[in-house]
Amino acid sequence: MLRQIKEAFRNPKFLVGFILFVLLLLMAIFYPMISMYEPLTYYATSFEKPGTYVNILDIANSEGVKLNVDTAAGRLDSVLTDDQKETMKDWLVRFGGVEESAIDLEDSESFLKLWQDNYDSKNPQKGLRTADKKAVARLDKQLTTALNSDSIDIAGKNEEGELEVVKSIPGDHFINAGSVGNSYTFPLGTDNFGADVLTKLTSSIRVSLRIGLVAGLIGTAIGLTIGLLAGFLGGWVDNFLTFVTNIFTVIPSFVILVLISNAVSASARGATMVSVIIGLTSWPWTARSVRSQVLSLRGRDHVNLSKLSGHSMPRIILQDILPYVASYVVMAMILQISSGILAEAQLSMLGLGPNTSTTTTLGIMMNWAQQYSAMQSNSWWAFVPVVISITLITFSLNLMNTGLDQVFNPQLRD
Amino acid sequence: MRHIRRAFSVSTFDEVIVLKGYLKYYGKRIMWYVLTLVVAVFLNFLLPRLMPGDPVQQLAAQATAGSTDPTVYLKTVEQYTKEFGLDKSLPEQFFIYVGNIFQGNLGTSLSKYPRTVTDILGGSIGWTLALQIPGIIVGWFLGNLLGAIAAYIRKSIDTVVLPIFMFISNMPAFGLAFIMIFIFSNKLGIAPSGGGYAYDLVPNFSMEFVGSVLKYYQMPFWTMVLISIGGQAIGMRSMSIYELNADYVKYSRFLGIKDHKIVMYVFRNAMLPQITGLAMSFGTMIGGNLVAEMVYSYPGIGTTMFQAINTRDYPLLSGCTLLITIMVLIANLVVEILYGVVDPRVKAAQMETE
Amino acid sequence: MGKVMLEVNDLKTKYVTRFKEDVYAVDGVSLKIEEGKSLGVAGESGCGKSTLALSLIGYYFAPLHYMSGEIIIDGQNISGMKPDEVRKKVLGTEVAYIPQAAMNALNPTQKIIRFIEDVIQVHDKSLSKKDIYDMAVERFRILGLPPEVLQKHAVELSGGMKQRTVIAISTILSPKVLIADEPSSALDVTSQKMVIKMMRELMEKGFIKSMIFITHELPLLYNVTDDIMVMYAGQIVEHGTAKEMVFDPVHPYSKGLMGSIIVPEEGTRDVQLEAIPGTPPNLKHPPDGCRFAPRCKYAKPECKVYDVPEKEFEGHRMYRCIYDVDYLKEAYGRNG
Repeated sequence: MLRQIKEAFRNPKFLVGFILFVLLLLMAIFYPMISMYEPLTYYATSFEKPGTYVNILDIANSEGVKLNVDTAAGRLDSVLTDDQKETMKDWLVRFGGVEESAIDLEDSESFLKLWQDNYDSKNPQKGLRTADKKAVARLDKQLTTALNSDSIDIAGKNEEGELEVVKSIPGDHFINAGSVGNSYTFPLGTDNFGADVLTKLTSSIRVSLRIGLVAGLIGTAIGLTIGLLAGFLGGWVDNFLTFVTNIFTVIPSFVILVLISNAVSASARGATMVSVIIGLTSWPWTARSVRSQVLSLRGRDHVNLSKLSGHSMPRIILQDILPYVASYVVMAMILQISSGILAEAQLSMLGLGPNTSTTTTLGIMMNWAQQYSAMQSNSWWAFVPVVISITLITFSLNLMNTGLDQVFNPQLRD
Repeated sequence: MRHIRRAFSVSTFDEVIVLKGYLKYYGKRIMWYVLTLVVAVFLNFLLPRLMPGDPVQQLAAQATAGSTDPTVYLKTVEQYTKEFGLDKSLPEQFFIYVGNIFQGNLGTSLSKYPRTVTDILGGSIGWTLALQIPGIIVGWFLGNLLGAIAAYIRKSIDTVVLPIFMFISNMPAFGLAFIMIFIFSNKLGIAPSGGGYAYDLVPNFSMEFVGSVLKYYQMPFWTMVLISIGGQAIGMRSMSIYELNADYVKYSRFLGIKDHKIVMYVFRNAMLPQITGLAMSFGTMIGGNLVAEMVYSYPGIGTTMFQAINTRDYPLLSGCTLLITIMVLIANLVVEILYGVVDPRVKAAQMETE
Repeated sequence: MGKVMLEVNDLKTKYVTRFKEDVYAVDGVSLKIEEGKSLGVAGESGCGKSTLALSLIGYYFAPLHYMSGEIIIDGQNISGMKPDEVRKKVLGTEVAYIPQAAMNALNPTQKIIRFIEDVIQVHDKSLSKKDIYDMAVERFRILGLPPEVLQKHAVELSGGMKQRTVIAISTILSPKVLIADEPSSALDVTSQKMVIKMMRELMEKGFIKSMIFITHELPLLYNVTDDIMVMYAGQIVEHGTAKEMVFDPVHPYSKGLMGSIIVPEEGTRDVQLEAIPGTPPNLKHPPDGCRFAPRCKYAKPECKVYDVPEKEFEGHRMYRCIYDVDYLKEAYGRNG
């Protein structure tokens, strides 16, 4: 056994899958602990982009630090869109007498200089509609405002209710984002409710893994029991169990899953309940492969010897059969964990997953993303990380399974 | 069918016995599938009735929500009780249920009252079949092609192309649907994000409508295809490697037969056993594919089922699950028969078990 | 003397293994077969018989590689040809091969007639399917095979029938040289007899002009072939007519092989069976000197040092041993 474990870790496929899986597991366990957010608390009101959010009032009240840097280019990039740049370039080529080759949109600083040197609102601009002329003029004004490095005065009402300058903020002053009283970093943005996606994601991975694991354990236990009984006892027990197993391999487990989940009321469907339901429907393939393994083992010499020595059936199964089917059972269980995680995601997408008010899973996150049209609103952070997480989990589990298969069945190596 | 016809035209004693063997074998298999169907129908009948609480009262409360007249509520309860036959014993209910199924009567939809479930499902099954069958078969074929090429060329395909498709294969189909919609319809704007055809059209057989359907069809179709390539390719690759080392490859070479012809032999021989992989994929893939339909708001059974669940339309949901089961059973049976017909190795093995 | 159909001069081939340790499985073999004659090749398993069969075909693919020597078929030297040329001009028409494991030699999912069409169309595209079918039916009929076989798949045929079908397919283009590698070894006695009968018929009816028959069953060779050649560790150790080789072997290895035959007759049980001690050498590192020396009971120290050349005697026979023929015969006489 130890030798096989060692060999498994020397198999590149198993190793890659194992490392991936452990990384995901560690992240799922520890990130929610160190994260300053709760997975089900709403910090924003809707999808917000990934980034650090700093309170504007706090900034206005902070004392700035003067930095000797040029702030114009950075501001230009945050103000100007690519479309606007194209419009400006177009104007410069047509009316400003600038060669197209002399313009480099990537170099904001020199582009800006070109614009300031050549733009003139009094230019006749032949062939341009009035509305377009005005649009360009507006653009120019917007730029001038943005590039104004002079200080901005903040006014507040005094005791008499008159406005007076409270503070003046120079254009080259900075503050440390960390020292602002109210600063929130959402590395993967917020979801439709405004919860932190990364915290929610890691918490979901944890719950989904638990569902997969419990479902896998239950499914494997049932499959193993049925397979052992059918293969070992033979006769009518075998006939009956094989018949049942075959029927449930053909009837799609998805259908039974939907029927049972739908029969359980939504409030009773916790994560554990869902994993039990998934486990109850996922055993047939395991039962099938265990049975065929046991059938081939039953005729082996060491089993016959055990029988002749008068050992009891449980003892024979435990001592002479289980150790030989253990490797298959482990592999089957790995596959069941991954299909359990997928099954949960499917159920949640249909609205039959765990109760959404108490827990969060990968499937539930996908469901919300779908219901709140995250794809249409370009809020990729609300679903791309979730899809990638599901895929990485199943991919790592399948890699481990393939690796183990190669270790246990050396003829598969090529 | 081909060999059956031949058997009659030659009609030697030998062939008639073989034909009898086929009929007996497939007769048994069909009987088995019928039995499985009975079990499936039974589960479909029983599981919803295990629901705690009185579903009829719940349903009636839902249906009459907003109405202040208590008699309306009581009437609805009575109507539902009668309609579902809940005033009779469970075995009686079951036989009525089966009888109704035979008449094609699956009840009346609650959410789309007064449309019948059969009517609603009749409208969506065509869409699902038109999407799933070509999607699964094309994915299966491309996967096999990739697997065979990987076995023949190895190297770059083995280390780069195959792992990429393996990764995609591990994605749930609806997950890929999310990504596809985001990339192709949102970012690139080259495909519509959902639906079966442009919303301003009425289904008919005009060029415009068919064109619109094809445009909306692409993304769900390629999603099904992409999902199944990786898994099939891996199986085909090891099968092809095994076949490439077979004795008949060597023998054919020594008789001067050209490599491309031998590759065709190998491809065929390795691909035929993959048909079982195709059969297995129906049952496991159908769930993910139907949910993907829902993500695309494709007017098939997946979307109908989602609506049924969300509106607590039990008769409709029950009809959906029954229909899905029947589709998978038929697909499995067809594949099994097809497999026996096209692969003489299986034909021989099947006859031996007789 | 008839026309020479196959002439092989000092042929050397090797297996290239993954660990860069080449195996010299055929190491300097020369032979000659005339029209209408057949040659048997005998030896223990692992002595290079099967590799010799593959090497003689002239079509090499990994891991087998051609090194040096000539293969001349009916005056045409094929050892220098490109693989494509060999495939087009030689395989099937000049040389044909019957594999060792004919059980799996046929594509299981193809009808026999489709495969025959493929084989014939490599060489002659002009023939229609109808012509090919008629031709195949005729040939199958002459060889005593039921024509219905043509419409069947390989999986539907019994072992013996499969083997006979393979033989019929291999010889359908009437090759000049047929190389049969243990064509009957895996069969039951009845099928074996039918196969042997078929091989003889092929020669008699002129469907093949010459034949090399490889087997480890010596009595079979005595019944089928004109000459017998004994191979050991990739080299020929003795060559003579079938009768001479069976009743009057010269080389200690041949002598040992013949002594290992079990002949069912009165008193067999009382005779002590002789077996050659030891196993054939690993051809990755063949022993110096005479390769048989480590197992030879007549070996003296020089045997393990000097390479022994092939020696001719009695005009047409040849052997490879340090001792004179007379000395060996005398020694055998002494030992009984």
